[in-house]
Amino acid sequence: MNGPGTNSTAPAPPLLKVESVSKSFGGIHALRGVSFEVREGDIHAVIGPNGAGKTTLFNVITGAYNPERGMVAFEGREVQGGKIHQAASRGIARTFQNVELFGSMSVLENVLVGGHVRTKCGFPGAIFRWPWVRKEEREAVARAMELLEFAGIADIAGNRSADLPFGWQRFVEIARALASQPRLLLLDEPAAGLNGAETQRLGELMRSIRDRGITLLLVEHDMNLTMEISDRLLVLNQGAKLAEGTPREIQANEAVMEAYLGRE
Amino acid sequence: MRRIVFLIVILAVGLAVDNPYRLQLLTIVGVNTMLTLGLNMLMGYAGQISLGHAAFYGIGAYTTAILTTHAQWPPLLALPAAVLLTAVVALVVGFPTLKLTGYYLGMGTLGFGMIVYILLREWSAVTGGASGLVGIPPLAVGGFTIRPGRDYFYLVWLMVMLLFIICERVVDSRVGRALRAIHDSEKAAAAMGIDTIRAKVSVFVLSAVFAALAGFLYAHLISFISPGSFDFMMSIRLVTMVVIGGMASIWGAVLGAFILTLLPEWLHVFADYEVIIYGSILMTVMIFLPQGLTRGVLDIYERSRHKFNSARSAASQG
Ligand SMILES: Nc1ncnc2c1ncn2[C@@H]1O[C@H](COP(=O)(O)OP(=O)(O)OP(=O)(O)O)[C@@H](O)[C@H]1O
Ligand SMILES: [Mg+2]
Repeated sequence: MNGPGTNSTAPAPPLLKVESVSKSFGGIHALRGVSFEVREGDIHAVIGPNGAGKTTLFNVITGAYNPERGMVAFEGREVQGGKIHQAASRGIARTFQNVELFGSMSVLENVLVGGHVRTKCGFPGAIFRWPWVRKEEREAVARAMELLEFAGIADIAGNRSADLPFGWQRFVEIARALASQPRLLLLDEPAAGLNGAETQRLGELMRSIRDRGITLLLVEHDMNLTMEISDRLLVLNQGAKLAEGTPREIQANEAVMEAYLGRE
Repeated sequence: MRRIVFLIVILAVGLAVDNPYRLQLLTIVGVNTMLTLGLNMLMGYAGQISLGHAAFYGIGAYTTAILTTHAQWPPLLALPAAVLLTAVVALVVGFPTLKLTGYYLGMGTLGFGMIVYILLREWSAVTGGASGLVGIPPLAVGGFTIRPGRDYFYLVWLMVMLLFIICERVVDSRVGRALRAIHDSEKAAAAMGIDTIRAKVSVFVLSAVFAALAGFLYAHLISFISPGSFDFMMSIRLVTMVVIGGMASIWGAVLGAFILTLLPEWLHVFADYEVIIYGSILMTVMIFLPQGLTRGVLDIYERSRHKFNSARSAASQG
């Protein structure tokens, strides 16, 4: 049904491996020796209270931050910190907690930028518009439109992205991330700011993304959605791993309930 | 369509204007438009400020002037040399400088402009020092000489049109989108796999090449150049042209060049207060819109439109 790793019990190598990663900012220990693995084809969630280090973990995985200790391996190869722009071509795409669209550009153009690493045209190509450049552009537009269709927002392709309601912007951001044809998609609180109907659509979209063979790692505060959709969860608290397991295991975990879920 | 209108206007203006002084002025408007078009790509689209752009203009002009006077090169051979040298300098200066942001980028480019200006003024043996270089030959293509006047006017404005098309094509392409993405959110642009430093340096080099072309045409137009045409004031003038033109608008760049080249000629009061006027425009921009000029201008526009709209709907409801 899903990716090869999902139902086989043989230990397939993990798509993503995070090994005792520590990262601090001045005196704040945002991550303390966090280790976990993401299996190919899973929807893997990271939960934890505010300031637990979830976004920092994403930034380490994409190489935006260099961890002081530990390492991250994607498809068995170590991710080097400090070169953020290499993540996309390696197959890691992401969205941002506070939606970072290219506001002055149209929805379609946003998704075309998402496909940057899958296209080649440079300055000479842009100026001379060789036949291959026109072809590449046509194909990129077709792929982008297909993704907008997939995300259910094809009818707003021509709108300026900054003018869209917040909920739609989140969907645009996901379509843009998909345009880089990732193997791993990181979603930082994709349901934040969405209404009930939008959250439900988001859940469906995440499932169909997984069905396309893309592994998802998401940070989410909406517990109903998270528990329902994810195969495995990682619980962070004050930068450290508190627990790990299936939704059922996490819900039965006393420490998690106390530290996080029970508090509200 | 717009291109055809553009061509017709150029043709008509060239035919209508007979006065050599006016033709030369309009030709210089064209040279300034070339400069503004390039700077607009850097500032308007990629959102990077340069307070030293006149330096590239100067390097282009001086390279051809030196090669065609001292070394007696034909201008057509000096052209690629001028463009290449300017591009290399832009590449070397661009890498460290474009890692800077905001005021620091402003300071870095300003410093670069100063250094080039001082070099032009003090390296007398080669550049002729403060009094400059005279006797730059007119442009000759084969046996055909393009003398300053109507022919030169057409040549410059055809070049403007060429650069215009280049800008339009770049803006609406993968690289253009990458530049605009950097302007809107550098963080997201990097996450999309855009090598932001490389993209910025590329557009910096492109704008420098435009400036080198402008410098080449300027030198052979007036046959005499001195450092004063490439000083800090010129850089400021160029930035102001782009700002007045509305940023991130190719037509705006043309408009800005037009206004700021012709106004001082027509209004002598303007010439007297030039420094103060440019200074205030620039200070306003730097203080109130530090994250990038277009963004600032657009934001203000959006906000006021919003206010206007909500005021209107409140009025219609109340
Ligand atoms: N760039 C930074 N500079 C300084 N401190 C930082 C930085 N990024 C994160 N921190 C700190 O690290 C800790 C973890 O932050 P992080 O954003 O990873 O938390 P989070 O789990 O994503 O929280 P939230 O649910 O609020 O998004 C916080 O105390 C935060 O203040
Ligand atoms: Mg966060």
